[in-house]
Amino acid sequence: MASVGTSSALLRGNGSSNFTDQWPKMQPIVVKLLKQQEITRQEWQDLFWDVHTVCSWDEKAPAKIQKALEEVILEFTREIQTSVSQHKEESALLKAYIKEWTKFFTQCQYLPLPFQSIEVENSANKANKKRQEGNKVQVLMLQTWNRSIFADVRSQLLSAAMSFLYKERSGEAYDAQLVIGVRESFVNLCTDTSNKLQIYLEYFEKSYLEATKEFYTSSSSQYLSENGVQNYMRYASDKISEEQRRATRYLETSKDSQSVKLVMTELDRILIKTHSDVILEECPKLISANEVEKLMVMYRLMDRIANGVDPMLKCLESHIVNTGLSDMKAHAEVITTDSEKYIEELLKLFKLFSELVKDAFGDDSRFLTSRDIAYKKVVNDVSVFKLELGTKGKVSGASKTHPESKCPELLANYCDLLLRKTPLSKKLTSEEIDEKLRSVLLVLKYVQNKDVFMRYHKTHLTRRLILETSADSEKEENMVEWLRDVGMPAEYVNKLARMFQDIKVSDDLNTEFKDKNKGSDTADLVNIKVLNAGAWSRSSERVPVSLPTELEDFIPEVEEFYRKKHNGRKLTWHHIMSNGSITFQNQVGKYELEVTTFQMAVLFAWNQRPEDKISFESLRLATELPDPELRRTLWSLVAFPKMKRQVLLAEPEVASFKEFCDLTMFYVNQEFGLVKQGKLQKRGKINLIGRLQLTTEKTKEEDNEGIVQLRILRTQEAIVKIMKMRKRLTNAALQTELVEILKNMFIPPKKMIKEQIEWLIENKYMKRDEDNLSTFIYLA
Amino acid sequence: MADGQSLEEPPKVKKAKGKTPTGPLFTLKKWNAVAMWSWDVECDTCAICRVQVMDACLRCQSDKKQEECIVVWGECNHSFHNCCMQLWIKQNNRCPLCQQEWTVQRFGS
Ligand SMILES: [Zn+2]
Ligand SMILES: [Zn+2]
Ligand SMILES: [Zn+2]
Repeated sequence: MASVGTSSALLRGNGSSNFTDQWPKMQPIVVKLLKQQEITRQEWQDLFWDVHTVCSWDEKAPAKIQKALEEVILEFTREIQTSVSQHKEESALLKAYIKEWTKFFTQCQYLPLPFQSIEVENSANKANKKRQEGNKVQVLMLQTWNRSIFADVRSQLLSAAMSFLYKERSGEAYDAQLVIGVRESFVNLCTDTSNKLQIYLEYFEKSYLEATKEFYTSSSSQYLSENGVQNYMRYASDKISEEQRRATRYLETSKDSQSVKLVMTELDRILIKTHSDVILEECPKLISANEVEKLMVMYRLMDRIANGVDPMLKCLESHIVNTGLSDMKAHAEVITTDSEKYIEELLKLFKLFSELVKDAFGDDSRFLTSRDIAYKKVVNDVSVFKLELGTKGKVSGASKTHPESKCPELLANYCDLLLRKTPLSKKLTSEEIDEKLRSVLLVLKYVQNKDVFMRYHKTHLTRRLILETSADSEKEENMVEWLRDVGMPAEYVNKLARMFQDIKVSDDLNTEFKDKNKGSDTADLVNIKVLNAGAWSRSSERVPVSLPTELEDFIPEVEEFYRKKHNGRKLTWHHIMSNGSITFQNQVGKYELEVTTFQMAVLFAWNQRPEDKISFESLRLATELPDPELRRTLWSLVAFPKMKRQVLLAEPEVASFKEFCDLTMFYVNQEFGLVKQGKLQKRGKINLIGRLQLTTEKTKEEDNEGIVQLRILRTQEAIVKIMKMRKRLTNAALQTELVEILKNMFIPPKKMIKEQIEWLIENKYMKRDEDNLSTFIYLA
Repeated sequence: MADGQSLEEPPKVKKAKGKTPTGPLFTLKKWNAVAMWSWDVECDTCAICRVQVMDACLRCQSDKKQEECIVVWGECNHSFHNCCMQLWIKQNNRCPLCQQEWTVQRFGS
């Protein structure tokens, strides 16, 4: 080595700077550093200086220093190896190893510092080699350690670490730091910077994964068979959080490492997936028993595996449908007749199901969707009761329709109970009414045929506005806007809004009419409502009635007034809607009766002959009312619900208005009187209009038919609109788009769509593609 | 019932009581009469816009001026939304239905 003296050595002329002379001085300091013995500041600085001078004197010096260092480190690590492997017991071995490794690893940070010159030299020489192994000395130290100690004890270390893991899992406490130390030594030992985790992955992660698999494969099955599935779910859930914490502690969590995820996925497979059939079998039972906490555990478990909750969604759906329908069936008698009970029952169910989804499934959107699907089935079910919408086949291509849920009708009835002056609306506070109206809207969202709701809602609204029985006009108008907000089609909502406008116009007109007639009988006795036929009436039908002269006399006055006010308008009297109040005086007392105009017409027949019995036939002649209307009117006077003494009496008595015949005799009940709390009252007011329809049976039929016809028309329009835009479309695509357009009003049944398509083809709006019969082509 | 009554009270008293007071059994106190008005037209639909004349024309419907949309009659007695007719006569001063020259007979109000 000395022979390699070069010109630079000569330049200095001082032999003291060559490697051979200097190394004996450096070597003891290096050994002290390795052993973590104290060195002086002077020694530390000398080491820096010496390395530097040697390297500047001799260009071969770095290689020599490196070789010498290697020898020192090797010798040092051999000593440690000997002392560590003295320990035969696992935990002692582990402790000794970790202790030495920790010291050594610390020195890996210090020892390289004085040898910077070797680094510089190195990188200068291999300029274009990657500089990844930035620290030669450190690499040297780690590699030496790896070769002389680690390779030797690696498997013992791993098995010690894994056996500690096993003990910890089995509930024995021990020093977690030992396992962590082993993992760190696996990670830090690696000198391959392109794959820093290589040693860790190859040995540590692999063993950890194996140990975990082995432990849980046997212990999970054992737990399940010993403790049953419900306890097992709790166990699995606890183990998963426990292992999550453990994995984060013991495994490498730097961002290049997937260890935690890998272990957890494996655990999900072992703990959940292999037992998922047994777990899912519990689902229906737990849902029925409303075991929300256990369901939550199940949900969290199953949600860890792909598509795990799907069977639970199906379970929830069938639970809601079954519970909903059996509940409806159990209460069928009450709810088919009492809209309040029905809606409250529906809402109660909705609340119940929503709570279940919230408490058991944390309002997970997938479970909310299932709730919606199932609840829709309950709301639109036709097995308990149904609405028949008939047609007489007048319309192009229409055949008998399928039955529909009665829900929209009952919803509208319930709304009416809340918006009208009723015992219910009087009992509730304003806030409570708002809340209930909102819940109506909530159910309405699930109703398929919203057009039916709107039809009934409009009928009720008409009645409330005409009879002035609204409980609160502000609520009425709010409701219209709410209907708009929940997506009811504008054409329906606008019609309602127009009725409110119109009633205001009519009120002004009435005021003016009364002013004009101030001081006369007319002003005192008559109120008029003149309404826009376009906004209110759907039916062309007018019921003829011969008015009592008391009323007949007013008609020309009103018509004259109106003719002067407006041009080009004609008036049609709708006596079926008009009403009033009369005084009824008999020997018992004097009463005010609120009556329909038809009732008035019937009763006034007795004014000329108060003591007489008058036959059905004579009344028909006197009033000119059609038979069905006369029957209904008379029935309301002889059998008004919940009234102890009726205004009229029939002879013979009958059980239903259908039993009236031409010869049935009617007479005024001279003992009529109001009975309150068992006491006969001499004065009082009573409303005999009650729930008497302001429409006829025929109008109702027409209304139903109107709905069907309107649906057909809307379906045709929508098909034409779609085809015009698309030009060419498959049957399936057409159906999808059609439902999308119409769903806010009604869901068109497949059969109806088919019929309308046929009709449109027949009438040359579109045709079938000759090559593909399930594709349609638009014809301009 | 009538029999039971007559046993307690002589029938003539009852009759006298029933007839003497104030005349009729039933007297009118209040009547709320309901009528519907519509334009007095031959055809319910406006031939120009195809909307019912009782409904406002499409333009007034979207402008929320439903109450202002009136009907106009020509000398030929045909009728349309006034809004629709005003636009129509800018193009063609004949009635769309009978082709007679358009002269306003009256406006609805
Ligand atoms: Zn028009
Ligand atoms: Zn207009
Ligand atoms: Zn004309």
